[in-house]
Amino acid sequence: MRSASEHDKVEGFPVHFALNLVLVSSESRSKVLLAMARSTSKDAQALLHSFRSAYAATPTNLKIIDLYVGFAVFTALIQIAYIAIVGSFPFNAFLSGLLSCIGTAVLAVCLRIQVNRENKEFKDLPPERAFADFVLCNLVLHLVIMNFLG
Amino acid sequence: MPKLALFLILIHFLPFLCTSFSPENPSSRRVLVLLDDLALKSSHSVYFKSLQSRGFELDFKLADDPKIGLQRYGQYLYDGLILFCPTTERFGGSIDLAAILDFVDSGHDLIIAADNNASDLIREIATECGVDFDEDPAAMVIDHTSYAVSETEGDHTLIASDDFIKSNVLLGSEKIEAPVLFQGIGHSLSPANSLVLKVLSASPSAYSANPKSKLSSPPSLTGSAISLVSILQARNNARILISGSLVMFSNRFFRSGVQKAGTPTKHEKSGNEQFLTELSKWVFHERGHLKAVNIQHHKDGEADEPSMYRINDDLVYSVEIYEWSGRSWEPYVADDVQVQFYMMSPYVLKNLSTDKKGRYFTAFKVPDVYGVFQFKVEYQRLGYTSLSLSKQIPVRPYRHNEYERFIPAAYPYYGAAFSMMAGFFIFTAVHLYNK
Repeated sequence: MRSASEHDKVEGFPVHFALNLVLVSSESRSKVLLAMARSTSKDAQALLHSFRSAYAATPTNLKIIDLYVGFAVFTALIQIAYIAIVGSFPFNAFLSGLLSCIGTAVLAVCLRIQVNRENKEFKDLPPERAFADFVLCNLVLHLVIMNFLG
Repeated sequence: MPKLALFLILIHFLPFLCTSFSPENPSSRRVLVLLDDLALKSSHSVYFKSLQSRGFELDFKLADDPKIGLQRYGQYLYDGLILFCPTTERFGGSIDLAAILDFVDSGHDLIIAADNNASDLIREIATECGVDFDEDPAAMVIDHTSYAVSETEGDHTLIASDDFIKSNVLLGSEKIEAPVLFQGIGHSLSPANSLVLKVLSASPSAYSANPKSKLSSPPSLTGSAISLVSILQARNNARILISGSLVMFSNRFFRSGVQKAGTPTKHEKSGNEQFLTELSKWVFHERGHLKAVNIQHHKDGEADEPSMYRINDDLVYSVEIYEWSGRSWEPYVADDVQVQFYMMSPYVLKNLSTDKKGRYFTAFKVPDVYGVFQFKVEYQRLGYTSLSLSKQIPVRPYRHNEYERFIPAAYPYYGAAFSMMAGFFIFTAVHLYNK
């Protein structure tokens, strides 16, 4: 078996010519790509900046709900990493733990939607009613979780 | 009055007479000795005396005596049978081939000695025991390199053999120094029979042929395949000794010196007496007769036997094994008794350790399989009675509440669920009181 470099050398003259052309075009292409990357990174930075400034304007209670959702999702991710490492032996316990995190996150998100004053859809819903629904659903969720945990 | 008193006193000895023999204490046993010729009583007196000195009552009868019988009204009259009657064509009385085989099948012992004019009946009895004598009626065992040196130039049918089986149970712990003199017919053991053993084999240069005529064709029985003395231990632990020579039991052979051809040592006394006395001790159950009693098993830490075990239980198994010494049950000491915890195949196979006083015990964990198991002890060793003990015990799986309450592998999930609950409480507090 001839090595790859030897193969190239045998094909010799025309390959070198083709490579040269490619190299020349790739140079310009990389310049274009670089320009594109720079522009997308600039766009991403601009996006993040605008997001941060808009988020600073949200009310504190919504920020607290966001923190709570983040905590729930983080716990869910820990459990997924754990089952990937150790294996799924008490699968019911895994499902129960995961479902408690996801359920908590979902219910908190629902609360945030209903409590957000800028949301036109829930303008007429008193926030106390939303909170009561949230508490009741959480009670049911935790009842189910404790039963399934085993 | 004194006669009555004497009678009453003597009556009290009756129970002792009854306990002198029982299957538990096989001592003072009665043995029927059938002879061709009553002169054998004196010509083989040393051998008979060795038996009588060990407590056997020998009843000498001629083989065609019309009054002999092994059993009467369903009860056996004797505990052992010695057939020193090689030429008998038919037994007298009620003894025949079937009666002798029934006698052995009921657990009693038998010694048969054939000779170079052995009758068909004796040969048939031997064949039923798994031993085939040479079919040629005139054949004897001849050995031109291993014969006993004598003053006269014989036809080398008197052979000196020291090819003993290696077993302390069969032949005693003392080594037999002198070779054994033998003159008679040889036999071969049927290869399918796993219960017969060669105790004294001929040397590789021996063959079985008629000493008076020239050999016309190669002999059928040659070499070490020829057995001179064999034993059989039946599955019901009856023991049979079959010898191809009656004259090896005689006083003449017991007392004579022996020199094996080709060896320089001349022994003052042949090994016949030691060999046959030790072997007769084995045949009459004075050695190698085991009994196993008192099988116990219980959970580790408890004392009484449960009706059922659970998987992954720790249990202890013990059994007591004794060996009959001729007078009493002595503890049997060995390190190769094993117990199996068996269900279709042994899940656990362990050696039992002994406290040297007859008790064998071991502890192990019940395997992780449920079902109906047996504790099996299968002990078959050369020369010993076979022990086949089995005790059935069921094993159940875990009950619903015998599993571990909290699985350690699931602690992160428990933590996640409870932390979600705690987070919910804290969040509601913060959310309600946040302005």
